[in-house]
Amino acid sequence: MAVDAKQLAAERAARLKAAVELKEPDRVPFTGIGGDVIAAYAGITSYEFNFDYEKQCQAIIKYVKDFPSDQPVIGMTGLGNHVASMAFSDYPDLYPIISRVDGPTNDILGVDYCRFPGRELDENSSPQFIGREYMSAEEYDELIADPVKFCFEKILPRIVRAFRDMKAPEAHAAMARLALEKAKAGAAMRDMFRQLQELGYAPGGLSVFFAPLDFIGDQLRDIPNLIKDLRRYPDKVKAATEAVLEPLLKVSVNAKGPGVETAMIPLHLNEYLSPALYNEFYWPTLKEGILRLAELGMKSQVFFEGRHDAHLETILELPAGWGTAYFEKTDVRKAKKLLQGHTCIMGGIDVGMVISSTPAKLDEYIKEILGEMMPGGGFILAPNIGNLPRETPIENIRAVYEAVEKYGKY
Amino acid sequence: MREELLKSFVDMDEQEAVRIARELVESDGGAVAVLETCKEAMEEVGRLFEAGEYFLSELIAAGDMFNQIMEFTLPKLQGDEVASIGTMVLGTVQGDVHNIGKDIFKVMAEASGINVIDIGIDVPHEKFVEAIKEHKPELVGMCCLITLGVDSMKRTIEVIKEAGLRDDIKIIIGGGRVSQAVMEHVGADAWADDAARGVRLSKELLGKE
Repeated sequence: MAVDAKQLAAERAARLKAAVELKEPDRVPFTGIGGDVIAAYAGITSYEFNFDYEKQCQAIIKYVKDFPSDQPVIGMTGLGNHVASMAFSDYPDLYPIISRVDGPTNDILGVDYCRFPGRELDENSSPQFIGREYMSAEEYDELIADPVKFCFEKILPRIVRAFRDMKAPEAHAAMARLALEKAKAGAAMRDMFRQLQELGYAPGGLSVFFAPLDFIGDQLRDIPNLIKDLRRYPDKVKAATEAVLEPLLKVSVNAKGPGVETAMIPLHLNEYLSPALYNEFYWPTLKEGILRLAELGMKSQVFFEGRHDAHLETILELPAGWGTAYFEKTDVRKAKKLLQGHTCIMGGIDVGMVISSTPAKLDEYIKEILGEMMPGGGFILAPNIGNLPRETPIENIRAVYEAVEKYGKY
Repeated sequence: MREELLKSFVDMDEQEAVRIARELVESDGGAVAVLETCKEAMEEVGRLFEAGEYFLSELIAAGDMFNQIMEFTLPKLQGDEVASIGTMVLGTVQGDVHNIGKDIFKVMAEASGINVIDIGIDVPHEKFVEAIKEHKPELVGMCCLITLGVDSMKRTIEVIKEAGLRDDIKIIIGGGRVSQAVMEHVGADAWADDAARGVRLSKELLGKE
């Protein structure tokens, strides 16, 4: 890394760190905005972006060069393979191979809930996760008794086509092919990170942790079923959230490494639940998870999907400086009033506005948000949802970056 | 008994609501009473949701109860006893394969008396046009969860315009990422990011509220 790039990387990292530590940095830290638009900006299809490592890397580097921010904007390059991560949680060295499914690895594995552009979807669609019922209500006891064994023996064969029968040659061939493919992907990835370093971005990333009830809802039972389970089998659901907590923590720690010291926790069911249900089934093991991650040396960055307004105050049960609360539809101004000095707040840019507004209006919009959110520090500017569609007007994206440059200085 | 059904339904007491409905449906004129009471209960659940007292989990549970009860109630009703206040063609737009939001909205819309023609997920623009020609709805509902759906909605509405059908219908868009700005961008008539609001606005578009 050249000296300038090193210094730039250090400045960017310091900016983000200061915000998480609830301080005022030199400028407001900005994660950048991107997504499917990265492929469109490079003139390639989403299919190419998802299946051709070289084109993907070129597209990302082009975008990051033209739209610099405090974190490189990578876009959506695959989907999590969380049941597999749990099934193989005793093998941390396999984590990079097993934890994510991208286009080529999905061709090998055939993951039931994955939909990729150019395969099941139009060539310019986004990769999508479509869960369904992989575990029956009668199987709660087995899950509770040994989540890792249960995920390996029962769920993995239902989710991954190539693992239908773990004793069959097909499964072994798929494992070997997966390793070969990931070696190819790894080489491309290293090349991309080298180029990103030259552009002033330190190597790193995020680990992932799930609220235990989300793991059960999204990966095992499917949400409509889980909602019924809360009333039909409350004790079993609760016991299951407690049982999956430890292996989920283990998976998250498996991802820890140089530059990976924060666990992203994308919440899903938070918006679905009343405070009574949230406090009984969701929050206790999520809170425990955040506290345990801290003990294990990791900060948490929780993405509160949808409206989290009804549960906002529970965040105050965590110790001050615990990490970052990333909001989608909860008004960040309202969150700031409650959480200032306690929690770093992230978000603020409504992606709907970036898609549909004009540069002049966006300039005004960013000015207003920064004016309200920057004082006192502890704020990271980010899109409320991480995916700008392909057709997003480039002049609108440019207007956001220019406005951050103009109004983002402390 | 109607009162008890209403109360247990709104209180999310599934077993009790289903038990009372089963009993009531066997009495003289009971099926009509069950249908009307469940519709009333769904409306109340929607109202409680919009008031911030109920959440998505209650909408899902209520929708499930409604479907369970209708399964044994509808076969006992005559065609003219199930009045509709209007027809809606409903689908998740091309490129998006999500269905949970659409399905929650669908059962609530049906409970409010809207005849819903569900044309599925990842629906090509032209399929909306064909469905409009075939079913002649007053309303078209377009759903999306992911952000790519926004431009897909815009394109779908353009294709409906090109087919000369836009003036015959009202369009409501729904989903987690839609907003007033998105509605104006795609050229729809209303927007909702939750099912209860979606049903209320659909009824308004039909001139029923």
